[in-house]
Amino acid sequence: MFALKVAQRYLLSNPSQTLLLIAGVALGVTVFVFITALIAGLAVRLTEQVTGNSAHISLEPPTRVARVLVGPDLPVESVALVSTFQRQQIRDWPRVIALLRANPEVSAISPRISGSAFLVKSEAVQSVAIIGVEPQGIDAISRITPTIIDGDGELGADGLLIGVRLAEDLGLSAGQPILLRTERGVERQLTIRGVFRSGLQSLDERVAFLSLQAARPLFVLPEGVTNIEVKLKDPDDARVTARFLAEATGLRATPWQEKNLSLEDALVAQGRTGSMIQVFSLISIIIGVASALVLSAYRRRAEVGIMRAFGVPGAFILWVFLLQGLLIGLIGAVVGCATGYGLCLWLEGITSVDGVPILPIAPEQGGYVAALVLTTLGATIASILPARSAARVDPLEAIQQ
Amino acid sequence: MTRVLEAQGIEKVFLNGDEETRVLKGIDLTLDEGELAALSGASGSGKSTLLSIIGLLLRPTAGSLTISGERVDNLSERKRAQFRNRRLGFVFQFHHLLPDFTAMENVAFPAAAPAGGISRDMRDRARNLLERVGLEDRIDFPATRLSGGQKQRVAIARALMNRPDLIIADEPTGNLDRESADRVLDLMREVNREDGATFLICTHDEGVAARCSRRLTLRDGELVLNVSGAVDDPPGWRPQADV
Ligand SMILES: Nc1ncnc2c1ncn2[C@@H]1O[C@H](COP(=O)(O)OP(=O)(O)OP(=O)(O)O)[C@@H](O)[C@H]1O
Ligand SMILES: [Mg+2]
Repeated sequence: MFALKVAQRYLLSNPSQTLLLIAGVALGVTVFVFITALIAGLAVRLTEQVTGNSAHISLEPPTRVARVLVGPDLPVESVALVSTFQRQQIRDWPRVIALLRANPEVSAISPRISGSAFLVKSEAVQSVAIIGVEPQGIDAISRITPTIIDGDGELGADGLLIGVRLAEDLGLSAGQPILLRTERGVERQLTIRGVFRSGLQSLDERVAFLSLQAARPLFVLPEGVTNIEVKLKDPDDARVTARFLAEATGLRATPWQEKNLSLEDALVAQGRTGSMIQVFSLISIIIGVASALVLSAYRRRAEVGIMRAFGVPGAFILWVFLLQGLLIGLIGAVVGCATGYGLCLWLEGITSVDGVPILPIAPEQGGYVAALVLTTLGATIASILPARSAARVDPLEAIQQ
Repeated sequence: MTRVLEAQGIEKVFLNGDEETRVLKGIDLTLDEGELAALSGASGSGKSTLLSIIGLLLRPTAGSLTISGERVDNLSERKRAQFRNRRLGFVFQFHHLLPDFTAMENVAFPAAAPAGGISRDMRDRARNLLERVGLEDRIDFPATRLSGGQKQRVAIARALMNRPDLIIADEPTGNLDRESADRVLDLMREVNREDGATFLICTHDEGVAARCSRRLTLRDGELVLNVSGAVDDPPGWRPQADV
């Protein structure tokens, strides 16, 4: 294509100016890539902090609704009494577990009996959240045993693992006996087998783990469980998978996002800030390319006029300038993507003492395809104006100087 | 003889606000194939204006224009550009070469741009033309590194690239010294003689006008002299041997 050759020749005719222009575009693209990678990295880190130590989907029995009873010997409308006293439970949980195991998205499953109770130590009474788990699956959702700072962490038949803050509040340590009383007055003597420091305030402050077997008599649940906590390979799939699981099991499935609406809001706000910076870096690229090409088209009026005198089609001249914009955009974007990636890798390598990068940057999520496409497109659009003015040069003007 | 140009009643009025400038006042002019016509006249008499109209770079206020048998005064802008490209050649006072291209590329440009590339045929023709204008050793020189006279010879080669029916030259030697000017004119005469190409040359140079086969003179927008005759080389003038 001859117009491409002419465009190339024009760009090469003033190499330092062209280099400067490409450098400007590349700088804008670098900012674009850096911001995109940073926002993505921030989102990943925040999401990880929230999802790393908690369930991605919680399965619970459906909320009870009063059923309308209809029968010949009943008044026109009778409503079945719904007992709120009776614990809601998932009776057929082994079937649900089997179903979850078959799901490729699911990475960990933890059937639980959850309830509230009081820990009683002589005069002190402290309300706690009790979680009964399968002993081998205690770490399925949150890392508990690796964070144990006191005791061996063996749940056994009467063992209890409590958070460090709770232990401090009640002055408890491993090996001590403790009385646990449920809201319904069931009491049982247990032994502290471990004190953990998970780092999650909600766990450390008021959670006590015991085995599923130990929890059954406490909450009068001989066979069912109250909830099943699920982790996924990709936390971002939680909404879709939750919807699917709700349908498949008839249970209420709550994705983690719905339990952490403020995080969701923060991520959205962050994303918007990122988009703004992206848009502005694109606009500055467009303005830079447009002004450079407007100048170049002006300086070449005479040449363009002579081409027009020789009957070179206006479309050809249009292409010459559009292709200059496209080439500048494309080269600038490639260079900018490369430097942006390099910058991200470098920043990712700067870590604090514990080996965590100072900036939560995700170099592989720099939006490279978007940067490439948008910059090339933007630079081409930027060249429309100068290209059109060049294509409309009156040949006579050029000849008469 | 084929009629290359037929202009009838060409008028041109420039409007500047309320002020009208009547630059051409009804020009009738015909040129046959193979003619070498010189157009002279005082500065401001309308020579460049007439050439621009005949070259389809400017529309006349009135009059009709037929080139190579085709009515061209009412063509669309697109068709005019196409017509210029295929049928007309231009040589201007200032060479107007494209500075980022070689001599060969400049010559081939009028053919290459509409076609989308320089074909082997175009390259060969451009080389031949450059040889013909005596620049065989400058074929791949960047245009900016040629002398003024060499540039003008490249411009002539470029004007011939698409084998035009009519070549319009506005003071092609106006910027050159005597020797280069003679050489450029020789070249045009040679092309005229050998190819039968038709030329319309506007010039201030009496020596140039005297060596053309037809002499036209404009005064105040009117054609006051239109004579054709044998080309007489003025006394003392000797054709220069080509290098
Ligand atoms: N665009 C225009 N608007 C108004 N007047 C114009 C315009 N172009 C040319 N003229 C006028 O037309 C007249 C003829 O101009 P033209 O350039 O044709 O003269 P010329 O014979 O070529 O002169 P020279 O020998 O100096 O080149 C001049 O008086 C000029 O001022
Ligand atoms: Mg003039």
